[in-house]
Amino acid sequence: MKKYLCLGCGFSYDEARGLPEHGIAPGTRWADIPDDWVCPDCGTPKSGFEMVEIPYYSEARTA
Amino acid sequence: MSVRFILRAGERGYSYLPAAGLNASYVAGHPDGVITRHSSFNFHEYQSGIPGLGVMKVFGDETFTPNGTGYNMHPHHNFIIMAFVASGALTHINTIGKIDELKANDYYVFSAGSGGKHSELNIGDEDLQVIYVWVVPGQLLAPPSYRRSRFDPKAGANRITCLVGDEPGALPIGQTFTVSRLLSDGGKAHTYRPSKANGFYAFVLEGEADIAEATLTRRDSIALEGEDKIEIAVRANGTDMLLVETKL
Repeated sequence: MKKYLCLGCGFSYDEARGLPEHGIAPGTRWADIPDDWVCPDCGTPKSGFEMVEIPYYSEARTA
Repeated sequence: MSVRFILRAGERGYSYLPAAGLNASYVAGHPDGVITRHSSFNFHEYQSGIPGLGVMKVFGDETFTPNGTGYNMHPHHNFIIMAFVASGALTHINTIGKIDELKANDYYVFSAGSGGKHSELNIGDEDLQVIYVWVVPGQLLAPPSYRRSRFDPKAGANRITCLVGDEPGALPIGQTFTVSRLLSDGGKAHTYRPSKANGFYAFVLEGEADIAEATLTRRDSIALEGEDKIEIAVRANGTDMLLVETKL
């Protein structure tokens, strides 16, 4: 399960969490999101996201 | 000595963002208001250049025309957004509850974290020149925060002053990333000592300086890596530079 960061605004997509409020179920792989999908906050195309390996603040606090 | 790139002022991405027309919801202001943005790295519609350096993804050299030009309130997450005001006055409004005005030599660090909106406005009567830097954070969805500080051009002259980072007096951001300012008279030489593992980026706000056998003039920049000692030789008319160190 990977995370992706929108380079237009910083919105993060997490495969584990999905985006249920935008119709993307938890567990949805990045590769399975349509190529014409755009950032729900700023409209940046899917190609403008970058894979990141960064822990959540909440995880870092408890680690 | 390893030069990653030299970026001349005219080689950067350029965006002309009028307040009227298609940008009207993005750019605030009367119909003649314009933001011009020179991007050192790929950003928004400019995607044919350099994709950042280390955790630094955006280095934007922006000018806002006076009397009410700026970015309307818009959302961010995660990015640590910094503004360094070079001239004019910046009004910053954010959803943490801060309404702030920054003038020349003032700077802020806005960490968008779990979500924050901001508006950036020039409501003054002269052009606003501001440098925006965006950094990928060390943790996702942290509590949003806003802090500001000021570079003192008298006390800080002729030496390298850390503005953002873990040094005393600077604003810490929880990331292997620093921004320093070098405001120097002509003819002087300065040494910056980065960690050899990090990348280094120098941007000339004003004046001229030589780094790694390259002469940099106004708004030129250079990136180096694998260095633990960088010599900056200031040319006769002096210089004003921002120096960035970032993990790679």
